[in-house]
Amino acid sequence: MKIDVGAVADFEDHRMRILQAGIHEVGVLRWRDRFFAIHNRCPHQKGPVCLGIVSGRLSSGAPGSMEVDDETPVIACPWHGWEFELERGRALWDESYAVKVVPVRVESGRVVLEVGKGAA
Amino acid sequence: MYSGPVIDCDIHHARNTDAELIQYLSKGWREYVTDRGPAGNVPLTVQDGFPNPHGFMRADTYPKHGGEPGSDYPTMRDQLLAASDLRRAILTFGDDSHVAGHHNPYFAAELARAMNDWSVERWLTQDPRLFSSIMVGSQLPDTAAAEVRRHALNPRMVQVMLVDNPFNRGFGHPVFHPIYAAAEETGRPVAIHGGAGGWANPPSTGGGSVSTYFETHVLWPQALQTHLVSFIAHGVFEKYPGLRVVLIEGGSAWIPSLLWRFDTEYKGLRREVPWLKRLPSEYFAQHVWVTTQPLEIAPEKENVIDLLRSMHLEDRLVYSSDYPHWDADEIEYLSTRLPADWHRRIFFENACRLYEWNEKELERPKPVAQKAQ
Repeated sequence: MKIDVGAVADFEDHRMRILQAGIHEVGVLRWRDRFFAIHNRCPHQKGPVCLGIVSGRLSSGAPGSMEVDDETPVIACPWHGWEFELERGRALWDESYAVKVVPVRVESGRVVLEVGKGAA
Repeated sequence: MYSGPVIDCDIHHARNTDAELIQYLSKGWREYVTDRGPAGNVPLTVQDGFPNPHGFMRADTYPKHGGEPGSDYPTMRDQLLAASDLRRAILTFGDDSHVAGHHNPYFAAELARAMNDWSVERWLTQDPRLFSSIMVGSQLPDTAAAEVRRHALNPRMVQVMLVDNPFNRGFGHPVFHPIYAAAEETGRPVAIHGGAGGWANPPSTGGGSVSTYFETHVLWPQALQTHLVSFIAHGVFEKYPGLRVVLIEGGSAWIPSLLWRFDTEYKGLRREVPWLKRLPSEYFAQHVWVTTQPLEIAPEKENVIDLLRSMHLEDRLVYSSDYPHWDADEIEYLSTRLPADWHRRIFFENACRLYEWNEKELERPKPVAQKAQ
C-alpha cells in the first residue's frame, strides 16, 4: 500500500520528520535529493530512534582524525546512542542489528511510502 | 599439582647497593649522584608513600648471607627457579622499576639505561633461563624509544616495562606513542605493572586518594583498567597493529565486567572514536595478555573460573609468581584453583605466544650433563 506523505518541498533538508504510516510511526528524512524512511523504534530497547541526531557517517583513517561520509546518513538513537545507517537500517558496529527500513520514493514531486506486506 | 614446563612472567630482581647501579651510570651522572659528603648519594629510587605493615618481601626470601630479597641469584635459583620445571623467567626489577616516578626526567632516562645494562650483565649472564624487561624513563618518550631500540638485537631483553605514570594521562595517550612505535618495531610487548600511575606520583586511584597500603593494594586494578581502556580508546592497536600488551599483577576477574561495559559503551559512543574498527573486547582478545598473580579468591572457586571462562581468559593468562614479594602465588596453589585442562596453557603455552617463543623448542628435554669418562 502506498501512502503519500507530502510534497518534496514540505520536507526540510537533513531533518527527520516523524509521521504515522498505517499502524506504525515512521521517520522520513530528506537528505538533499534523497529520501530515507525507517520505523521509529530502536531494535535495542524500543526507543524513539527517529528523535536522534542525524549526520553523515563519521569515520577515521587513523586515530585522532575525524572524517565524514556525507553520502551516508546515520541516525543515533537518543536512548543509548546506537547508530544506524539509513540506507539499510543497519547498526554501524554490528550489522545483525537493524532498524526497519520503509521503502520510500518520489513520484511526481510527492514523497510516497510503501507500507504493508514486505514493507511497513 | 601441575608438573609440566613453566614460564614465570614476573620475578622482581633487585640490587643490594647503590654502587651496583652507579657503576653503570655515565661519568657525569656518577659525579652528580655521588661525592655529596655526609649527605650520601642522591637517592636512586623514588620513595614509596604506602608502607606495607609487614614489609613487601617474603621473610624467607632474604638471602642467608645478607642482602635484599631478589638480589642474590643462588637464593632465587634454589627457592624459585629449581622448584618447578621452569623453562624461562621474566625479570621485572624491584623498587627501581618506579624510575618513571622520578621528577627529573633526564636522571630517570639515565637510570633506566643503567638498570638495563645492570640487568644484562649481572643477571642474564647467570642463567640462560632468565630474560629481562627493558625499563624506560617514560618522562622522555623519544629517549625511552631509543632505549628500547638499543636492545633490539638482544633477544634476552623481551619486553618494554611501564610502571609509574609521569604525565597523569592514560598510557594510550599519544604522548606515549613513540615508546609503542619502538616496541612494535622491535617486536617487544609492552608490560604494564600494577601500581602503574601512582606509586610515586599520586593520585593512584580514581575518585580520590587513599590513606593506607591496604586500600591502594585493593585498588591496583584501577590503574590497569585506566590504561587498558586508554590503549583501546586511543586506537593504539589500530595505529600499531603488531603491538602486544601484558598487564601484570592487577588480577583478572574484573576483566569480563570491564570489557562487557566497554563494548556496550562503544556501541553508543562510537562517534567519538570512529578510528575503532572492532569491539573493545576484540582488541583485547587479539592484543592483551594478563598475568595470574594475584588470582582473585572467591568462596566458591568456580565463581572465578566462570568469570575467566566468559572472556576466554584461559587463553590470555600467563603464570607469574611475583617472587619475592609478600603476595606471591605458588604453582602448587594455583594448580588447585585453576581447572586442570587450563594448566599447560597458563603455565607455559600462553607465554610462548605472548613472547613469540617456539613452544616445541622450549619443551625439549634439558640436556643431561655427561659424566667424565
